[in-house]
Amino acid sequence: MSEEERQSLLKRWGRSAKEFLYGMAGHDMTRFALKTRGSMEHLFILITMGDLLGIPILPPYYSLRLLPYVVPQISTWKRRMLRERDLTDALA
Amino acid sequence: MSLAQIFREHPNRRYIEYGGKGGLGKTTFSAATAYWLAKQGYRVLVFSVDPQASLSDIFEQDIFGKGAVEIIPGLFAQEIDADRHIKEYQDEIRQKIRDMYGLDEMPEEIEHYIQAAAAEPAMEESAIFDAVVDIVVGAEYDYYIYDLVPLGHALYYLSMASIYDEWIGKITSLREEMEEYAQVAAMLERKKETEEDQILTELQYIKERINTSSSILTDREKTAFFFVITPEEMIILDTLKAAELFAKYDVPISGYIVNRVIPPELAQQNIPAYLRNRIEMQEKYIGKIGDTFGDEVLASVQEFERDITGLEMIGKVADALFGGEA
Repeated sequence: MSEEERQSLLKRWGRSAKEFLYGMAGHDMTRFALKTRGSMEHLFILITMGDLLGIPILPPYYSLRLLPYVVPQISTWKRRMLRERDLTDALA
Repeated sequence: MSLAQIFREHPNRRYIEYGGKGGLGKTTFSAATAYWLAKQGYRVLVFSVDPQASLSDIFEQDIFGKGAVEIIPGLFAQEIDADRHIKEYQDEIRQKIRDMYGLDEMPEEIEHYIQAAAAEPAMEESAIFDAVVDIVVGAEYDYYIYDLVPLGHALYYLSMASIYDEWIGKITSLREEMEEYAQVAAMLERKKETEEDQILTELQYIKERINTSSSILTDREKTAFFFVITPEEMIILDTLKAAELFAKYDVPISGYIVNRVIPPELAQQNIPAYLRNRIEMQEKYIGKIGDTFGDEVLASVQEFERDITGLEMIGKVADALFGGEA
C-alpha cells in the first residue's frame, strides 16, 4: 500500500467516524432543530396569513407584503393545519 | 396665548394636526393654517387622511389622487386616493410573486387571497397610513398639516400605530427565534452559512415605517395637535373624553380652538327671539369652555355669513384664527 493510498484510506476512515458520530449524536438534534423550525414556520404563517383559513390576525395590508415569501409553503401549511389528528401524531 | 404665538414660539413643531368631531371645521382650519403659513413664505403641505376628504371642495379645485397640487405659491394640498394606492400595491405583490417563482399566471389560491385581503375594511386605513409615511419622510416641506378624520377614526388611526408596532415586534421575535433554530441545524450539519431571512428583513422594514409615522404623531418637539370645538354641551363633553384618550396615546395636545361662535354683538340689534336664545345659550357654554380649558383656548372663530370655500374665505378664516397677524 503506497503512502498515498494509506492517506486516502485514513481520510475515508476519519470521515466515516465523523459521520458515525454525527449520526449518533448530532443527527437527532439537527432533526429536532429543523422540525421545531418547521413547526414555527407554520405557526408564523398562521399568524400572518391566518385569513387563508378564515382567521384574520395580521392587518391584511402588511400580510400582503409577506405573501410572496410564503407562496411555496402555503399548500403544505394548509394541509397540516386542517388535517385530522390521531394518536400517531403524538409519536411522531 | 394665541395660536400665532404658539407657531412663533415653537418653530420646530412642523407637523400640525387638527382633530375634533365631524363637521366642526377641521378641514377649514387646516386649509386656513396652510394658507397663513404659505403667505409667510413657508412651503406647506396640507393633506387629508380621510377617505371622504373635502380639501378639493374647500379649495374649489379637484385634487383627489393627483399628488401634491400647488394651490398658491408655497401652499400644496393633497388628497390620497386609497383605492388606487391599494390597486398599485396589489399589482406590486403580484409582480413580486411572478418574478420570484418565474410564474406566468398567479396560483388561484394566492390570487383569491390578494383580492380578499383588499376587501378588508381595515385595508383603506392601512393604505392611507402607509401613504402618509411616504409623504412625511419625504421632508420636502417646512410644514405638514394633517387634515385628520373625525375623532373615533383618529383614535383608531393612532392606536393602529401602537398595535401594529407591538404585533410586529412579537412576530419579529418569533422569526428571530426561528432563525436561531435554522442556524443550529446548519451548524450541526456543518453548512457554512444560512440564507438571509428575507421575511425578517421585510418585517423590520414594516416596523420601521410604522415607528416613523407614530413617532411623528406623538413627538412633543415636532408636533402640535389642536382640538376644534364649538360652544355646545355635547361637543365639550365629547372633546373632554377624547382629550383623555389622546393623552393616553401620548398625543401632544397644544390647545383648543372654538369655532362657529355667533357674533355676540348681534344681541344689540333687533333680532328674533330664536337667535337671541341661541346667543344666550352660547354665552353659557363659552363660559364653560373657559372654565374647562382655561388658557388652552387659543382662538375663537365666529360663524361666517357663508360657506368657507375658495381662497378669499380661507383668508378670512386665517385672519380670524391668527388675529390678522402676519
